[in-house]
Order: sequence, then C-alpha cells, then structure tokens
Amino acid sequence: MNDPVTPAPNPTPILNIASLVVRYGARTAVEDVNLQINRGEIFGLLGPNGAGKTSTLSAIEGLLKPAAGTVLVDGVDIQRDPLAAKARLGVQLQASSFQAELTIEQIVRLYAGLYSLRITRADIADRIRNIGLGDELGKTFKSLSGGQQQRLSLLIAVIHQPVLLLLDEPTSGLDPQSRRQLWDRIENLRRGGGSILLTTHSMEEAQAVCDRVAIIDHGKLLTLDTPAGLIAKHRDDPRVVKVARADVTLEDVFIGLTGSEIRD
Amino acid sequence: MTSAITTPTGDTVRPEIGMIFGSLLRADFTVLLRSGRTLLLNFAVPILILVIIGLRTTKGGTTAFSGPGFVIGLALTYGLMASSLIGYSNTIARDRDAGVFQRLRVTPAPTWAIMCSRLLVQIVVDLIMTVIVVIIGSIVTRTAFTAGQYLLLVCVSILGGAMFLAIAQALVALVRSAAVINAVGRLLYIVFLLLGLLGASGILGTTIHDIANWSPVGAMINLYGGVLNFSSWGWTETNGLIATAAYIIIGALIGIRWFRWEAR
Repeated sequence: MNDPVTPAPNPTPILNIASLVVRYGARTAVEDVNLQINRGEIFGLLGPNGAGKTSTLSAIEGLLKPAAGTVLVDGVDIQRDPLAAKARLGVQLQASSFQAELTIEQIVRLYAGLYSLRITRADIADRIRNIGLGDELGKTFKSLSGGQQQRLSLLIAVIHQPVLLLLDEPTSGLDPQSRRQLWDRIENLRRGGGSILLTTHSMEEAQAVCDRVAIIDHGKLLTLDTPAGLIAKHRDDPRVVKVARADVTLEDVFIGLTGSEIRD
Repeated sequence: MTSAITTPTGDTVRPEIGMIFGSLLRADFTVLLRSGRTLLLNFAVPILILVIIGLRTTKGGTTAFSGPGFVIGLALTYGLMASSLIGYSNTIARDRDAGVFQRLRVTPAPTWAIMCSRLLVQIVVDLIMTVIVVIIGSIVTRTAFTAGQYLLLVCVSILGGAMFLAIAQALVALVRSAAVINAVGRLLYIVFLLLGLLGASGILGTTIHDIANWSPVGAMINLYGGVLNFSSWGWTETNGLIATAAYIIIGALIGIRWFRWEAR
C-alpha cells in the first residue's frame, strides 16, 4: 500500500474538500471539513451513526448543496460543473436500487449509456460474467443475493473506469467471503490507477484496505492519518487508554475519540 | 456537455446528452411495457369502458350518455387519468422510496433528463392507447373518422396526457409517502370519475353539471366531443381548453417547485 505521508508521484489531489459545511435546516451535519485524497490512494472515512459521513459523501456526489465550502473532483468543482464532476466519479450508495422491472443486462446497458460508453451486448455479457453473474443475465436486481447485488453495484460504479470511486459502507451486511472478495476488488481497482474513498463502521476493514483514515464525529474531522499512525498518535490519549483492553487498537482510538454511547 | 474525461487507464470518455437521454428512454420504455399494471390501466380500462358503454348506446340501451364522441372521449379520458394518477404517480413514489433516483442522480445524467424521459415515455404510451381506443371505438360505435379527426384526437390526448401527468406530478411533489400517494391517487381517480360521469350526465343538477365541465374529466370529455364534432364547437369546449391549460400550468408549477428526489 502507498505510504500517504510520503508525497504521491502525482501530488495533485484527486479530491479536494475545502471548508465544507452541510446543514439541514438549523442542524449542522458537516462543519468545516477539509480533506484531500491523493491519486491511487484508498481513504477511509470512519464515524459513528449520524457523524456526518454520508452527508460528506452526498456533498461530494453532488446530491446536496453545501452551505459553504468547495469540493473539487479531479480539479472540477461539483457545484459549478456537476455533470463533468459526476462523470469522473464512480459511486456505490449505501442502499443501491435499480428499476425493479429491468434485468441485470438492461441495468448494465442503461448505466453504460449514462456514462456515454458504446459497448456491445457481448461486452456487457462479458463484464457480467467476470463478476460471476453469467447465469443471472435475465434476472432482476431484487432476485439476486446480497453478495451478488453488491458485486453488480460495484460493476456499475466502475463501468466507466472513474478516477475516484466512492463506496458508502460497501461491506455492510456481507458475509466474510464476500467481504474479502470486495477488498480484493478494491485493491485491484487501485492497482488499475483508481482512487477510492470509502465509509465504514468496520475497523478491521479500515486497517485491511485503507492507506489513510479520518475519524469524523458531530460533523467535525477529529483526526487523520494512516491506521498505524492514528494508533501511535493517540496511544497515550487518556480517553483511548480508558477504553483499551490490551494493546491499543484502531477501534480503541475510534471509541476513545467518539465516545462509547450508542448512536441511532 | 462537452468536457472530456481521462480514465485511470488513459481512455477518454466524453459524456453525450443524446446518448444519456436515449439510454433513459430505452430503460423507461422497458419498465413501462413490463409493468402489468400499466398495460391494464392504459389499455384494458378504456377498452372496457368503450365496449360496455359503446355497445349499450348502439343497442339503444337506457343510458344517460350518447354519441360516439362522448363514449370515445370518456374511454380515452379514463385511460389517460388512470395511467397518470395511479400508474405514473405510484411508479415515481416507489422509485423515490427505493433510491432509484438517487442512483441515477450520481451519474452524469441531468435531473431534467431523468424526469423528462419518464414523462415522454408516458405520453407516447398514452398516444398509442389513443390510436387503439379510437380504432376500436369506431368499430364499436360504427363511426368512421376522418384523418383530420384522428389528428385532433391525438392533439387532445397530448393535452389530456399532459394535464393528468401534471396533476400526478403535483401529487408526488406535495406528498412524500408512497402509501399516501397510492391512496390519494386512487381517491382522486374515484372523485374525478364520479364527477365526470354523474356531473356531465346532468342527473345531479345544473350546478354540479357546470362544476363537472370545469373538472379535469369534464374538460377532457368536452374537448374530445368537440373535436369529433367540430361544427358544434362552442363555449363549453373552449372553456374545456382553458381549464386543461390551467391544470397543466398549475400542476407543472407545483410539481417542479416542490418535487423532492428523496423520500426523506
């Protein structure tokens, strides 16, 4: 994995978030978040429920208008030129859903068209076969298992080879085999030159796949470093020491910084 | 949109609005034609009305309705109303609830293209329904229509389709819950149906008759009757045209201003 502390070969960040503020009425969901993701980097955004992860992703995806701040995707401002920015993004939403009446093949054809890709029927079938769904071409999305749905969602998210892939809790609800497969696919995408921003509740996932992670809570970015760097940085923090059971882990750092009360 | 995107592998992708819109249209047509409810609402309901009332009229049965224009107009009106108030509104509400729109909105597809594609597909299906109903209507009522009358019927159907779609769009804009939209859509259908049938027949008195003439159903029946018997075009038909235009404008304004892409 890349060492994020060492400057990347291309220093221009693929994602540049500056002073981002997201509000829902009087409630502030994201407050003055600044973040850069380098090319070829896998970046994890960690936080408890309601911390502001999905709101941050929604602002990057252009699904909501920030109250303040800018989001540049590969140098393109998502607010000023949303279509150009979205064409550079691949997105897997927390709960992806597709039209219930469409078959898998028709779904892939639709999304290829939305990214202006001219691909043949045989090419579509090949891509579907490559994710192990060759026998399911004529089935609808809802008739697939959770793992199959997740693979199809990922195929569609990367169908246009985006420069930045956004994954919102991609392994939520997956069995260990499917989770490992997804991690391998994420790593392959990075090897292909892509950059990935993922949100997760799994510290194991963050440690296994992420080059750098940031912890967000109450809309504020609390800390940011490599998984090992975060542990080293907060090892002696009294809040972390208090919750650690043995050697300090990333989960101890997470709980120490965000508190141990249950969030809804 | 003209800006080109270079993928991590060096390929250049240039999003094309024509291809995006074409892909949306193809998918929306597939969804509509695969929906059994749509076929039932769009085709079975008007044909059933046509056959039942049309045959009673031609056999001299005791009915308050008379004339091929009235019968065909009634059948077309209920076909348009059912497909919009029950079919279109429920599909939009279901897709919004399921996150289908969210998935589409993170692609380079402009939001106007996503919505226009759905509306256009519905209008085209309405027009196909018009041609089929008029052909069956001319057989059932033993009436021959001129090419000019066919053309005028198509024009009125476009207006009628637009009016009921505008009302349905206003409904999905003002109400977020899919269950409530389903209930309100059916309630409106029954209210319009009774107002149109009983009010237009005159059996509830002149006041209700006048109100019915300005209702969506009354306006449409008068317009269909007017174009099939153009020589008798009068103020009632002109008022129907004014009412239809007003419903389209008001429905579209509400439907665009207050529509939300997310259910929550």
